[in-house]
Amino acid sequence: MVNRAFVLLLMLGLAGSASAVNVSLAQIDASRLLLTQKVDLYVSVTDEEGRPVRGLDRGAFRISESVDGRRFSEARRLEGFKPQAGAEEGITFVLLIDNSGSMYDALDGRPTQEPSRMRITQAKEAVRSFLRSMTSPRDRVGLAAYNTFYQPLSRPGQDRERIAGLLEDIQRPQPDQAYTELYASLTLGAREFAGAEGRKAVVVLSDGENYPYARYAGKPHPVFKSKIYQYTEPIRLCQEEGITVYPINYGREKDRRLQNIALETGGQVFDARDREELAGVYRRIHEQVAGEYRLTYRATMEPAERKYVRVEVQSPGGRASAARFYFASTVFGLPLAALGWWLLAPLLAACLLAWLATRLRLESRKGPARLQVLQTRIGYASTRAIPLGSSKTVIGGSPKADLTIAGAPSVRGEHATVLYDPKSRSYTIVAGGDLLVNNQPVKTRKLEPGDVIDVGGATIVFDDGEV
Amino acid sequence: MSTMVRRLILLGLGFLAGAAVWPVAELTLFFQARFPTYLLFLALLGAVTGALMGGFLGLAEGITSRVKARIPSGLAWGALAGCLGGAVGLLAGQAALWLIAGLALRSYRSFQTVVLPVSRAIGWAVLGIFVGCGEGLRAGSPRKAGVGMLGGLLGGLAGGFVLEYTRLLFPSLAFPRLAGFVILGLAIGAFYGLIERGLAHGVLRVLAGALKGKEFLLNQNRMRIGSSRRNEIALAAYEGLAERQAQLRVRRGEVYLINLEPKLPVLVNERKIQEHKLKYGDVIRIGPARLFYKYE
Repeated sequence: MVNRAFVLLLMLGLAGSASAVNVSLAQIDASRLLLTQKVDLYVSVTDEEGRPVRGLDRGAFRISESVDGRRFSEARRLEGFKPQAGAEEGITFVLLIDNSGSMYDALDGRPTQEPSRMRITQAKEAVRSFLRSMTSPRDRVGLAAYNTFYQPLSRPGQDRERIAGLLEDIQRPQPDQAYTELYASLTLGAREFAGAEGRKAVVVLSDGENYPYARYAGKPHPVFKSKIYQYTEPIRLCQEEGITVYPINYGREKDRRLQNIALETGGQVFDARDREELAGVYRRIHEQVAGEYRLTYRATMEPAERKYVRVEVQSPGGRASAARFYFASTVFGLPLAALGWWLLAPLLAACLLAWLATRLRLESRKGPARLQVLQTRIGYASTRAIPLGSSKTVIGGSPKADLTIAGAPSVRGEHATVLYDPKSRSYTIVAGGDLLVNNQPVKTRKLEPGDVIDVGGATIVFDDGEV
Repeated sequence: MSTMVRRLILLGLGFLAGAAVWPVAELTLFFQARFPTYLLFLALLGAVTGALMGGFLGLAEGITSRVKARIPSGLAWGALAGCLGGAVGLLAGQAALWLIAGLALRSYRSFQTVVLPVSRAIGWAVLGIFVGCGEGLRAGSPRKAGVGMLGGLLGGLAGGFVLEYTRLLFPSLAFPRLAGFVILGLAIGAFYGLIERGLAHGVLRVLAGALKGKEFLLNQNRMRIGSSRRNEIALAAYEGLAERQAQLRVRRGEVYLINLEPKLPVLVNERKIQEHKLKYGDVIRIGPARLFYKYE
């Protein structure tokens, strides 16, 4: 019954008025995605005058996901629904001030020499009253001006006094700065929100149409080159980043597209001739944030770097939709396009090789008796290992020695000699200089397997070759 | 078996681990859409990746120690630690990825070159940390686990960065993930070996007998020496020494050798000792075995 009444109301709404609703996805909170698979959406629904539409129930919303932004899934089931959910969020503003030559004319369009009658003076005054009207301590505000060039003055911060002071830095432009890069500046202004959380809004004070340099000066712009920004660019960027645009018109000439930009991003156009209305801009924005709906749904598992979410609203005032994406890339990235049996090859090869490695016999082999140089503290040895001959082996500094320890001054020419006794099949070392075996000084000693001989800093092991 | 050979074996096993992980990870990734939640999907993906990495690297101790019994236990402990760690690691890495990427995405769209590689590398590093601690768990040594974790962290970080930037620089590479897993395995193996050596209190080299040439890293605060295979320094092929003959203790950075069986002598530089502070160049004799204590 309730449903039927709603449908009736809906039809009446659609048929009875040309009024439109506008929906914007103010924020996607996917921070719970990993643990709960749920995503929260903060959705702002406004009427054609930018006032929040209240009283919609969960049936009015339809959420779907897409991996490419074109083909969307079937509607996802709503797991949670809360109206008036954005109550006390901080808002980050970027104020964008038109600083073209015409801003130095009077409001009626006539030239004036009196600063107090100039549009720029009134615009600055409007900004000051805007700054004064900001009540929440969580709010942040940044400032930029534009004409032919985009002039960033301050990134968003909490110091409003500083922003008010920076207004004085906005100087009357040179004649060659007579162009108005409105769309380019909106796009760049939307990028000033680096790292900002919560709600984001651009307030742009403008007194005329987009008048790009590259089109009307007949040569490339010094910064943007031959690129001419379309009004769709700030719209796309702002939609993706959840930024709302509030244009304030000065003078008679308006940029018609500002209306589109405001509507598509969930904002509203204000007219500067009405000062009371201007002072209410801030209050309006707060109201809009407070009126947001929070929708919770279960995310799909389709692999994608970014997932697009679309919210469709059916209200008595009409229907509208908005899409934004959130980041859904996983640590290992996207899957292969297709699987094949060849994929198993590296796994099998690796297992086989690892099995072979475990069969390795790393034990040392039997060999001839030898002397092995482990390390030399001073100088260097002629070879790392020498087999012990049948009679005698000389260790020393002389090049004629069997094992030469060169570059060590304390090593004598024939420092030590290893003698073989065929009868007992044993080796004996005889000192010709200071000799240590197992760190004990010796003159003559029968060598045992593993004995450590020190010849003037060279460490040599006697290896009988047995295992 | 010198420490250099051990490092090469670690490197080789790391390479094989990477090659083995790839097909299994691809298979899991391919069926992402079939999983009910990211939690389950990533936990399983991490578990299989970690189990294979940990299992392969867990073979190293068994191969290099020549104690065959350590092969299955090393495999099992490595796989278990890797499995748990991989699941936790990948989830933590994913959380880091989404956190960082989410913060960056709020403001900037062109984050392909910095944010994505950095946060993914963090994910790989967390995975590496857990894969690295398997051997420490098998040996019941917190120090060894810590060393492995540090090695795994550095390896994962290095491997992750190389993978991500390889992918960026060579977008036409057929299987960047295969290269990535192999680099990750190699990096974990390499850093494990390096850190293990860098934080060890020297090396004991066997000078004679069956284990001639083998080098034992002093990488735990307590290491036992004896004929039983359960000892960290297992001299199983030698006769004439007790099952648990001696032990090495590390106190304030110094290594002490303590004889546990006074009836059978332990000699350092030809002199009987009960407890002895080792210095580099000392020659230890335990039964028929000779050990040389050196820095490297």
